[in-house]
Amino acid sequence: MLQPSIPPVEPRPSLNTAAKLNVGDRLLRALYPPRANAWQLRWLGFAMLVLAAIFPWLGGPFYTRLAIESFLFGATALSVDILLGYAGLLSLGQAAYFGLAAYISALMYLHVTQSFWLVLVAVVTAVAVFSLVLGAVAIRAKGVYFALITFGAAEILSKIAHNTRAIGGSDGLIGIPVPRITLLPGVTIDLQNNFVFYYAVLGVLVLIYIGTRRILDSGFGAVLRAIRDNSDRVPYLGYNSFWYKLLAYIMAAQVAAVGGLIYPLLRGFVAPHLFGFEVSTKAVVMSLVGGVGTLLGPLAGSVIVTFLESAVGSYTERHLLVLGVIFIVFVMFLPDGLIGLARRLSASRGKAAP
Amino acid sequence: MLNTPTILSSAIAAFAFSLGLNAHAADAIKVGVVTPLSGSYAPIGKQVRWGAELAVKEINAAGGVAGRPFELLFEDEEANPPIAVRKSEKLLQQDKVDLLTGTVNSGSTLAVGQVAERNNRILVTTVSYAPSITGAQCNPNVFRVNANAFMQSNALTSWLTKNVAGKRYFFIGPDYEMGRSSISAFQDDIKRLGGTDVGSTFPPLGAKDFTPYVGQIRSARPDVIMTATAGNDTVRLLTQLKEYGMLSDKLTLAGSAGAVTQENIGAMDGAAEGFLSAAGYSIDIDTSANKKFVATFKKEFQSDPDLFAADTYGLFYLFKQAVEKAGGTDEQKLRGAMEDATWETPQGTKKMRKGDHQAIVDMVVVKVSGNDFRTVGRVPGEDAVDSDKCEKF
Repeated sequence: MLQPSIPPVEPRPSLNTAAKLNVGDRLLRALYPPRANAWQLRWLGFAMLVLAAIFPWLGGPFYTRLAIESFLFGATALSVDILLGYAGLLSLGQAAYFGLAAYISALMYLHVTQSFWLVLVAVVTAVAVFSLVLGAVAIRAKGVYFALITFGAAEILSKIAHNTRAIGGSDGLIGIPVPRITLLPGVTIDLQNNFVFYYAVLGVLVLIYIGTRRILDSGFGAVLRAIRDNSDRVPYLGYNSFWYKLLAYIMAAQVAAVGGLIYPLLRGFVAPHLFGFEVSTKAVVMSLVGGVGTLLGPLAGSVIVTFLESAVGSYTERHLLVLGVIFIVFVMFLPDGLIGLARRLSASRGKAAP
Repeated sequence: MLNTPTILSSAIAAFAFSLGLNAHAADAIKVGVVTPLSGSYAPIGKQVRWGAELAVKEINAAGGVAGRPFELLFEDEEANPPIAVRKSEKLLQQDKVDLLTGTVNSGSTLAVGQVAERNNRILVTTVSYAPSITGAQCNPNVFRVNANAFMQSNALTSWLTKNVAGKRYFFIGPDYEMGRSSISAFQDDIKRLGGTDVGSTFPPLGAKDFTPYVGQIRSARPDVIMTATAGNDTVRLLTQLKEYGMLSDKLTLAGSAGAVTQENIGAMDGAAEGFLSAAGYSIDIDTSANKKFVATFKKEFQSDPDLFAADTYGLFYLFKQAVEKAGGTDEQKLRGAMEDATWETPQGTKKMRKGDHQAIVDMVVVKVSGNDFRTVGRVPGEDAVDSDKCEKF
C-alpha cells in the first residue's frame, strides 16, 4: 500500500462514557424538550377523555363496540407514531404485530387456556422475540427499504395464516369465547357487558398513552428524535442509534400487539386479513389524520377514521374514494394533522387576544 | 381550549350522521344484505343485490308478507371478514334487521354467522359453497340455499361417469387451498364411481407456461381432464393444450363451475368448446318460473341473471313463507319454519335439510357451446347432496 490508510473516526462510547452521555443527554434534552407540557395537548387529551367517558351513553351497543374497535386500531396507529413521529421510521407492517397477537390470543383461548394473563404473557413474549429479530434486520435498512421489509414481513405472516389449514386457512378461526378476566381474586371483568368492555379497553388505552408519553418524553425520546433528524451525527454524541431504534421498534410492536390481543375477544374471530396491508396502511392514515409526532393525534385519528368509514360505507360503495380524498387533503393541506391544526388555531388566537 | 369543540366536532358529526338513518316503516320486515359491493367480488355482490331487489319488489307489490313489506338494507363487506363483522353488527344492533344474507366468501359467512348467533338472528348465505359452513363449522343460526362444493363435484362426476365412455381421469388444480380441496373432492368422487385416477398436477396459481405439465398429461393418456383453475389460468391452460394438439373429440374437458365463465370464455377462442361443469342454476332451465324470472330480471337490470341472483331471489320466497308460518320474526319460530321448508324458486323446488341447514337443490350440468352454456343434464338434488355431517344441532 502506497498510502497509509487512515482509520475512520468512530465514536468510542467506551471512553469516559458517563461524562459523554451526560453532556449528550443534557444537550439533547435542551434541543428536544418534552412535549407533554404543551398546554394545548394536555387540554385536548383531557377533552378527548371526557368525550370518551360519556360516549357509551350517547350511542347504542353498535357504536360502543365500534368505538372499542377504533381504540384497538388506535393502539396500532399509536405504534406507527412512535416509529414515524419519534424515530423517523415509516413502518408499513404494523399489522404483523396486530395479527400475530390476534392469532396467538385466539389460538390460546380456543385450545390452551381461558386465563387472560397467560395469553398476555404469551403474546408479549412472542411479539418481543419476533420484533427483536425482524427489527434487527429491518433497522439496518433505511428509508423506503425499511418500509418494504416491514411490509414484506407482514405479508409473509398473512400468507402463512392464509395457507395453514391448522389455523383456519383463508377462513380464519371462529368461536373465540367472550371471557371473564380475573383482575384480583374475587374481582372479575365481564367482557360480555359492552359498557364494562368499553371502559376496560379505554383504561388500557389511557395507560398505554401515558406510558408511551412518559417514555418518549424522557432522554430516550430525545435521542430518538435526534436520530430522526440526523441519524449520522447522533453517534458522535455517544449514542448507538441502532439500539435506540431497535428499542423503539420493539416498543411499537408491543403497543400494536395490544390491539390484536383484545380484538378476538371483541369480535369472536380472527382472519388473515388482520395481517393485511389495509390494517397497516390504515394505521398510517390514522396517525397522519390525527397528527404525527403527537401520540394523541393517532388516537383521535383512529376514532375519526373508523367512524367515518362506517358512516360513509353505509351510503356509497365508493367509500374508499371518499377516504382517499380525505387522506390527500390532509397530506397536502394539513400535514401535521388535526392536532397540528388545533395548535395553529390556538396559537393564532392567543396572539389576537392579548 | 376554545378550539377543542371544533376539532372534535368532525368526530361527532360523523357519528351523528350515521345515527340519522333510522326512520323506517314501523312494521317492515328488515333484511340486512351484507355483501361485497366494491373490490374484486363486486360483480357477485351486484347479482346478489339485483336478485334481492327484484324479489322484494315483486313480493311487496303483491301485498308483502301478511301485509308487511320487506325492506332491504345493504352494507358493503368488501369480502373482508373483519369488515363484514363490523357491518353486520351495525345491521343487527343499530338498524335492528330481522334477517341477514349476502355474504360471499366463506370466511365472512362463518364470522357473520357467529355474529348472527350471538345477536339471536338468522343468516342465510346464497353464495358461499365451502362444505364447512354446513359441515364441521355448522351453526344453528346459519342456513345455505345454494349448492355446496360437494354437490357440484357429485353432480358433475356422476354425470361424467354415466355419459363419458372413457374411464381415465387426469386432474389439474392451482396450487393453493381451494384448488387442492376442489381436486381432492373430484378425485374421491371419480374413484368412488369407478373411474381411474391416472394422475394429477398442481401448477402454481397464475402459472404462465403449462408446457412442463403437457408431457405428463400426454403420457397419462387421459379420457377426461378435470380442472379447478379459474380466470386467466384456465385461459392459458386450455389454449396451450390446444396449441399442443391435445384437444380432440376423444378428450372430454370438465371442471369446477368457476373455471370457465362468461368473463373468460371469449378469450379462449374455442379452446373451451365442450367444457362441462355443474352448478345449481343455469339461465336456460326450461320452466315457466325460470323464463318469467329471466325475462323480468333482464327488463329490470338490462343484464342476465346468474346463479347468485337466482339463489338470492329464491331466498326471499323462503323468507316470506317462513315469516308467514312463524307468524312474525321471532328467531326460534323462524328457525323452526325454515328447517322444514320446501319452497319454489326459478331453479325448481328447493327443500331445506333440518340436520345441517343445507338446502337440497337440483343440479344442472352445462356444456360450453360457442360462447354460451347449454344444459346437457340435470342431477336431482337428493343424488348430489352429501350426507349430513353437522354435529352441533
